[in-house]
Amino acid sequence: MSEPSTPLRLRAEAAAAELPPLLVAAERVASMVSQGVHGRRRVGQGETFWQFRRYQPGDSSQRIDWRQSAKSVPVYVRETEWEAAQSVWLWRDTSPSMHFTGGRDRPEKAERADLLLLALASLLVRGGEHVALLGSGLPPSGGRGAMNRLAALVEDRSASTPSLPPVEPLPRYARVVMFSDFLSPPEDIRRAVEGLAGRGLRGHLVQVMDPIEEALPFDGRVHFQGLEQEGDIIIGRVEAIRPEYQALLAAHREALKEMTRAVGWTFAVHRTDQPPQAALLALFVTMSMSARA
Amino acid sequence: MLSLGALSFAAPWALAALATLPVIWWLLRLTPPAPQRVLFPPIRLLLNLASRQESTVKSPLWLLILRLVLAGLVILAAAHPLFNAATALRGGGPLVLFIDDGWAAGREWASRETTIGSLLDQAERQDRQVLFVTTAPLASEAGDAARPVGPMSPAEARLQLRGLQPKPWPGDHATAVARLQEAFQLADLSTAQVAWLSDGLDDGTAQATADALGRVGSVTLYSDAPTAVAHVLRPPVADGAALRISVTRASGEGIENGAVLAYGEDGTVLGRQGATFAAGERTAQARFLLPAEVRNRLTRLQIENEETAAAVVLIDERWRRRPVGLVSAQGTLAEQPLLGDLFYLERALAPFTEIRKGSVDTLLERQLAVIVLADPGVLADAERKRMETWIAKGGMAVRFAGPRLAQDVDGLLPVRLRPGDRILEGALAWGRPATLAAIDETSPLHGIRSTGNIRFRRQVLAEPSIDLAAKTWARLSDGTPLVTAERRGEGWLILVHTTANTEWSDLALSGVFVEMLRKFVNLSQGIGGTEGSVPLPPMQSLDGFGRIGAPPAAALPVIANELERTPVGPRHPPGYYGEQEARRALNLSQGLADPQLLPPLDSTVTAESYGTAHETDARPWLLLAALILAVVDLIASLGLRRLLYVSRPAVLALLLLPFAAPDAPAQSQAQTGDAFAMMASLTTRLAYVLTGDSQVDDVSQQGLRGLGVIVNRRTAAEMGEPVGISPERDELSFFPLIYWPMTDGQQKLSAVAADRINAYMRNGGTVLFDTRDGDGGEHSDVLRRVGEDLDLPPLVALPEDHVLGRAYYLLRDFPGRYTGGPVWVERTGERINDGVSSVIVGSSDWAAAWAMNDAQQPLFAVVPGGERQREFAYRVGINMIMYTLTGNYKADQVHLPAIINRLGE
Repeated sequence: MSEPSTPLRLRAEAAAAELPPLLVAAERVASMVSQGVHGRRRVGQGETFWQFRRYQPGDSSQRIDWRQSAKSVPVYVRETEWEAAQSVWLWRDTSPSMHFTGGRDRPEKAERADLLLLALASLLVRGGEHVALLGSGLPPSGGRGAMNRLAALVEDRSASTPSLPPVEPLPRYARVVMFSDFLSPPEDIRRAVEGLAGRGLRGHLVQVMDPIEEALPFDGRVHFQGLEQEGDIIIGRVEAIRPEYQALLAAHREALKEMTRAVGWTFAVHRTDQPPQAALLALFVTMSMSARA
Repeated sequence: MLSLGALSFAAPWALAALATLPVIWWLLRLTPPAPQRVLFPPIRLLLNLASRQESTVKSPLWLLILRLVLAGLVILAAAHPLFNAATALRGGGPLVLFIDDGWAAGREWASRETTIGSLLDQAERQDRQVLFVTTAPLASEAGDAARPVGPMSPAEARLQLRGLQPKPWPGDHATAVARLQEAFQLADLSTAQVAWLSDGLDDGTAQATADALGRVGSVTLYSDAPTAVAHVLRPPVADGAALRISVTRASGEGIENGAVLAYGEDGTVLGRQGATFAAGERTAQARFLLPAEVRNRLTRLQIENEETAAAVVLIDERWRRRPVGLVSAQGTLAEQPLLGDLFYLERALAPFTEIRKGSVDTLLERQLAVIVLADPGVLADAERKRMETWIAKGGMAVRFAGPRLAQDVDGLLPVRLRPGDRILEGALAWGRPATLAAIDETSPLHGIRSTGNIRFRRQVLAEPSIDLAAKTWARLSDGTPLVTAERRGEGWLILVHTTANTEWSDLALSGVFVEMLRKFVNLSQGIGGTEGSVPLPPMQSLDGFGRIGAPPAAALPVIANELERTPVGPRHPPGYYGEQEARRALNLSQGLADPQLLPPLDSTVTAESYGTAHETDARPWLLLAALILAVVDLIASLGLRRLLYVSRPAVLALLLLPFAAPDAPAQSQAQTGDAFAMMASLTTRLAYVLTGDSQVDDVSQQGLRGLGVIVNRRTAAEMGEPVGISPERDELSFFPLIYWPMTDGQQKLSAVAADRINAYMRNGGTVLFDTRDGDGGEHSDVLRRVGEDLDLPPLVALPEDHVLGRAYYLLRDFPGRYTGGPVWVERTGERINDGVSSVIVGSSDWAAAWAMNDAQQPLFAVVPGGERQREFAYRVGINMIMYTLTGNYKADQVHLPAIINRLGE
C-alpha cells in the first residue's frame, strides 16, 4: 500500500497532536484475542521483557537467549510480558445527507466526520490501541500501517454507506464510535444501537450538524428539498415555523440521548462551525471516563 | 399617423395594447415569484410539521411596477413614436423626386440628402411608389441627359439615391421635365406628388419647369435661403503682377463677407484675400498681389467654405508660370561658368521663372513667355521667321548684344544697329566707362533705381532714327540707348545693347540686371503662341464638391484652341486637360452666366425650405430602455431567489479591468524597448533582417553566428550572438552591419521602416544586401523594389583597390556560397561616413557559406566547392566586419608605396 499522505490525514494528525495519546483502559483482562496494549502481569506475547527461564525440552530453539545463556552453564529462554490491546471500531456516515454544508466557509458534514474519525484513530493508534473501520470487513490492527489503511478507506468516497451502521458480529467488549448526523427516525437508530449494545459493546455517538440545520435561518417562501429522496416541501413563511422546528430538533436529540443512556452509551453534538479539537477533546474525556467507570 | 405636438406615432393602433396593462398587473400579482430553493438534510423534521403555513405570496410592489413599465415601453415602441416627424405626403399616386444635382447643389448637399431621406421615409410609411429624375445631364450613349428612374419601391429608391452626388456642370431643366413626362405617360400614371429639390438658381426656365411639373402632379418646391445659394468664382485676370478675381452671387441683398483662398500644388494655402459684396452689389472683387515666386506655385483658387465646382478656379500656365527660354551659342556646361553667357541670366531668372534651355527650334516647340537670346550669333532664316511669327502672336524676345551680334547684324532687332561695337574704355580709347542714366517715366522700366557704379565698357550702337527715342527704354549716361524695344504684333522684341555676362559691362553683376529681367517677364503676356488643334486628354477633373480627382470615364479630350469655348458638361468635366508638363484648365465658371435667384412662382407651387428639424425616431431608444429594464428584472428575480452570488472582489475586478488592461502592454513594450537596446549595445552584434521566411532567417542567423565564431577566433573583434531585426519595429542604430537577404516574399517597406533604414545608412551604418541567387538575377527585382523605397546612393562595381578588399585580408574576389557575382558599393568619396559605403550589394549568398551548426561544421555546400572557397568566404565576411568597424584607415595604405619611396629618397 502506498503512503497516503493526504491533506485530510495530515489535518487529522494535526488535530490529534494536541491531545495526549489516548489510553483506553482495558476493562477486561480476559484472554481475548485483540485487546489494547496493557501489561497483563503474566507471561505471554508482548514486547516488554518479563523473565528468563531455563530451557525446557519442547521450547523452540529460536527462543533461546544466547547472550544470557553464554554467561552461565544453563540455557535460558527469554520470556516477555503478555500485552493485549483494546480494539475500537469506528464508523462514520457517508450518505448524501452528510454531503452538505450551509456556508462556503464551512466544510461539509461528511468531511468533518472524516476528520474527527481519523484524528480519533490517530490518538488511539498512538496509545497502542487497535482500530478498525466498521463495515469494512478488516480486522482491527495497530501501528502506523493501520493508520495508513484506515486513511485510505476513509478517503475512498466511492462507497456510499447507509445512514446507519450495519449490525456486525463484533467481538465483545470492543468499543464503537459513530459519527453521523443521526437524522434518521429514532426507532431506526435505536435498532442499530441496541443491536451492538446487546453484544456487550460500549459506544459513543457523535452527531455532526451544520449550523443552519439548527437555526433554520430562512425567510419567506422557501422550497425545501431533501438529499435522500425524503420528498420536498414548500414552506410559505419559514420564519413562522422556526420555533416549532427547533423544538422538534431538540426533542429528536433528547430521544437519542435517552436511548444511548439506557444502553450505557454516550451522545455528543458537534457543529461544523466549531473547531474539531473541541469535539475531539470531549470524546477523549468521555472515553477515558467511561473506561475508568 | 397620430400627432401630439412634436411627438407622433407611426403605428398608433399599437397603443391600444396599453389597455391590457391592468390585466398584466392582475396577472403579475396572481403569479407569486418562484420560491427560493434550498437543499436541507433535516427535511424529515420539516415534513413532520404541518404544511398549514402555505399561503399565497405576492410579488413585491416595486417588481410589479418595474414589469409594468417594461411592458408599457414595449407597447410604446411598437407604436413607433417619432419626434418632429415630417408632415405626411399629400394627395395620392407616386412620389416624384425632381432633383437638381447640377453644380449649385453641391454647396448644401447634405441638406438635400436629409430631405430626400425624410421624403423616402414618408413614402415608405404611406406605401407610395417613388420615381426620381435628376436634372444634371449624364453621359450616356443615347445622348447626354438624365433619365427618370422608377417607379419603384422607396427602399429601392433609397438604395439608388444613396450614391447620388452633385455634378460639376449645370443642370438642364427642360430636358429633364420632358423626359419625366414621357416616363409618366409610359408608366400610365395619372397623378403624382412632385417634390422639386431645387438648387435655388434660375436658368431662365424656372416658371416653365414649374408649369410642366404642375401638369404631372402637385408640386412642392424646396429651396435654400438666398444666402445659402452657391456663388461663382470667375477665372482671374492678370492685372500687372496681381491677379484680379471676381465673385458673383445670385441675390443682391445685404452685405456679405467672404474670402478667396489661393492654394499651391500640395494643398498649402498661399494666400487669403477677403471679398465683400456691398449691399445691392452682385459682384465682389478681390485682388491677389502675390510675389512672383509664390504666384508661380499657385494651382487653384477657391471661395472659402464653399464646396462647389464653380467656387473653384484651376490655374494653369496662362496665369501661372512664365517659362523663359534661354538661347546661347555656348553650351550650358561651359568650361568657365562665370564667363558663360547664360550663367547670370540663369541666376537672375531662376527664382521667379521656369527656365528652359535649348535652340530656338526646340524652345518654340513648347509654350514660352519670354525667349532670351544671349548673343547666339546669326539666326538662320527659318529660325528668324519662326521667331517673328511667335513674337507677333504675343511672345517676347529679349536679345543681348555681344561680339557675334556686333559682327553680323540680322533683321530681328528693334532698331537698326551700326556694324561693329563701341569701346568706351581701353588702351586706345579716350573715354571713360559710361554709367546708367536715370530712366524716363514713360519707359516701362521706370522704377529701376540706377546706381552709379555700373560701368559699361562696350556696347552696340543704334543707327539714329526718328523713332529711336520712343523705342529706347533705358540709356547710358552719354545718352546712347542701353535698352531698346519694339512692339511687333502682340509681342515685344527687346535688345539690350550690352552683354549678358561681364565681358562688356558690370550690368550682369548688379541688381539692376535682375530688376530689369523681372520687368521684362512681367511685361510678357505669359504663354505666347497657340497650340493649334491638338486634342488635350482629360488629366484631372473636379467633382461636384470642387475636389480634384481622376477624370470620369465619359470625359473626352478637348481641342486645345477651343478650350475657351468648350461648354462644361458630362463629356467635358471641369479640370485639367493635357499633360503634366503643359496642362490647361477648363473651369466651370468661365462659361456660366451670372447666377439668378429663383423668381417667385405661381401659387400652385408649395414652397418649402430644406428642413432643419430632423425627424428623430424614438423606437430604438424605447427598445433599449426596455432591454435595460428586462436585465434589471432578471437580476432582481435571481436576487429574490438567492440564485445570484456576486462576490465583491469579482465586481471590483470587472470594474477595474478596462482601466488596468491598456497599461500592461504599453509597459511591457517599453521594457522590451529598453531590454532590446541593452541587449544590442552591450556587445557588438551583427544583425540580419527578418524576412518572414523562417528558412532564410535560420540561415542568416546561423551564418552570422558562424562568421562571429571565425571573427572571434582570428581577430581582436568580439562579436556577440547575431540579432534578427525588423526595420518596421526595431531601432537599428546599434548595429555596425545589417545583413539583408532578398526573398520573393519581401513586402513593400512602410514609410517608418524606410525612414529608419535611410537614417541608419545616413548615420554611418552599412547594409549588406544579398540577392542569394549567385548572379542568377532571380531576386534582382526584389532588390530593385526595396531600393525604390530607400534613399540609395549611386553604386559602382567594387573597384580593384577598394578598402573592402584589403581591410583585413587581401582579397581579389568575394565568394560566398557562389562565386563570381559582382559586388556593388557606394562610389568612394560620395559621402562622408569615413568613406565607408553605406550599402554593399551582392548575390553570393554569403550567409549560407558562413552558416555552421553547433559543432562548428558547415551546413551548406559551397558552389563550385572546396575548402578554399569557404575559407575565402569567411575572409570576405571578416573583411566586411573590419571594414564597417574600422572605416577607411586601411585606405591610407594605398599610398604606402609612395610614402616609403619618399622616405627612401
